[in-house]
Amino acid sequence: MGIITLNGIEKVYRTKEIETTALENVNLDVNKGEFLSIMGPSGCGKSTLLNIIGLLDKPTKGCVTILDRDCSQLSDRELSHFRNANLGFVFQSFHLIPTLDVAANVEIPLLYRKGVSARQRRERVEQVLERLEMSHRIHHLPTQLSGGQSQRVAIARAIVGNPQIVLADEPTGNLDSKMGAEVMSLLQRLNKEDGTTIIMVTHNEMQAQETDRIVRFFDGRIIG
Amino acid sequence: MKQKIRQIINDMRQQPLVGTVTFIATVLSIFLFMVVVITSRVKVVPFSPESCRDRLLIGQYIHVKDEKGNDSSGSMSTLTAQKLYDGLKGVECVSYSQYLETMTAAGIEGKYFNAYCRPTDAEFFKVFDHKLIAGRYYTQEEADASLPVVVINERTARKAFGTVDCLGREISLNHKKYNVVGVVSDHSFLATTACGDVFIAFGGDKEGLFGGTTAALLVEEGVDFDSVRKQVKARYAILDTELRPEGKKTVYHEAPFDQATVSGGLRGSNTTPDTTSDSYVRYTLYAILLLVPAINLSSLLHSRMRKRISEIGVRRAFGCTRLRVITDIIWENFLITLVGGIVGVALGITFALTYSGLYEDMETYGSGITPDIGSVINFGTILIAVGVCFILNLISASLPAWQASRLNPVEAINAK
Repeated sequence: MGIITLNGIEKVYRTKEIETTALENVNLDVNKGEFLSIMGPSGCGKSTLLNIIGLLDKPTKGCVTILDRDCSQLSDRELSHFRNANLGFVFQSFHLIPTLDVAANVEIPLLYRKGVSARQRRERVEQVLERLEMSHRIHHLPTQLSGGQSQRVAIARAIVGNPQIVLADEPTGNLDSKMGAEVMSLLQRLNKEDGTTIIMVTHNEMQAQETDRIVRFFDGRIIG
Repeated sequence: MKQKIRQIINDMRQQPLVGTVTFIATVLSIFLFMVVVITSRVKVVPFSPESCRDRLLIGQYIHVKDEKGNDSSGSMSTLTAQKLYDGLKGVECVSYSQYLETMTAAGIEGKYFNAYCRPTDAEFFKVFDHKLIAGRYYTQEEADASLPVVVINERTARKAFGTVDCLGREISLNHKKYNVVGVVSDHSFLATTACGDVFIAFGGDKEGLFGGTTAALLVEEGVDFDSVRKQVKARYAILDTELRPEGKKTVYHEAPFDQATVSGGLRGSNTTPDTTSDSYVRYTLYAILLLVPAINLSSLLHSRMRKRISEIGVRRAFGCTRLRVITDIIWENFLITLVGGIVGVALGITFALTYSGLYEDMETYGSGITPDIGSVINFGTILIAVGVCFILNLISASLPAWQASRLNPVEAINAK
């Protein structure tokens, strides 16, 4: 049984004038511990799919099952708790909060988790930053970091709560090839060492080849 | 908390103009509010020489109707006041004094000036705590005999004699000579019942129904004002039996009155005081004073939040619930409001303590003396200030916080 199952997912954006189908009858199973990459041209629906898997957006039709739980029936509050406990996000533009230092940025997911004391949060943040070799930047603001360092911090934030699934939307898109390779190797490590399931949207064929499976997308449909 | 404060500071740095305007607007709002609160509370809270305001009841007027329904109303004679207020249960002491009267005073030859004079009995100094600097208060015997003795305040002593060392000297009031037996410290004339430059020993006007007497009743600790009023009402009934042969009857207007009523609710001698409409006016003013800055602060916060939409999206992605978005924004805004509030309160209190002109306009006689308002600035004031900050914050932050919580996480994350 897959850790994530998408069944007949459809996403339609409606305005008064037009109707745009972003996803059409998408069926997908992702296994536990799998490193999956999603590829396709711009605007084909990759990010929309990732947002639906990340429970940030709701499908117009179809069913999303994650960790044996039918997520289509969850309330907004339940979805928040579910995301907090099981999902981590890495964005192309890092999306670090500019007014918080590195430690505070990484701490964010733990703030919304019940029963984690300030001391436990601090310890966990330090542990994760050390693992990602970012301890020396713990009190720096995001503006004082390079792109590669920012993405490392973003990855630290994604994994600080020990999620089973990490969703990465073009995590190397804003990085040069060297930094991109570093980030990729980090994600590989997380996948291998922790058994974290990773779904990555990418345009980079070489990086996609490094993953366990490639799902190719075109016009809102899986083509291979 | 530390993190929240650091984020607020960083946010202020990143949006210096909006941040500074928000802070200054908060400070000024709370400052203005505190000045209004202090000037309104100073009318009712106890301060020397009316430290007894919590236990003070004032009887000033009498209202009678004749058989034809004609009204007569006005200040009582001392005789009437004594009939109504002497020997009441639960009353520690009663003082009968007259209205302030402007008299031409002179001490050293050729130095004339106006002085506000109040004829009183000796009990006056038991009800009100005028601070004696030199000499003594006059006795009840001296007052009953209306002997020409006076107690004067410092500024009158200096005007008349150039010094407060003037015991036994003569002061002329409207060309009549009085002997100075005591000097009391200067005080604000916002103590409307107790104030005066000169206190003249006076036995009272012992004839007729009307006169110029004010009765000040010092109620015993823990005694309910209404129990005193009930007794006074019964005295009105007795007075009615005396007035019956003249075809007159009293109209009772819930006298004697507490300080809040005296300071704001009296609408004349022939009507029952209305403290409710006074309260409505006051609370409406408070509401306007809160609402106007709250609307402005709300739009400023809205503008600040627009720059943080992406942050809200990220927080939502990592598990922040809608409710938590709202409480976080309100809490963060409350911290800013609280800091602004503390500065505003400090400014307000400093202003209230140092700027005597603030009270001059409130005084009928314009002593220009800042009242000893230490009692105004107490736990209650601080509580009001914190409450005001909280309400201001709630009004100004609720809408932007609610709007932020309704953002679609995906759109929020990708917002520029």
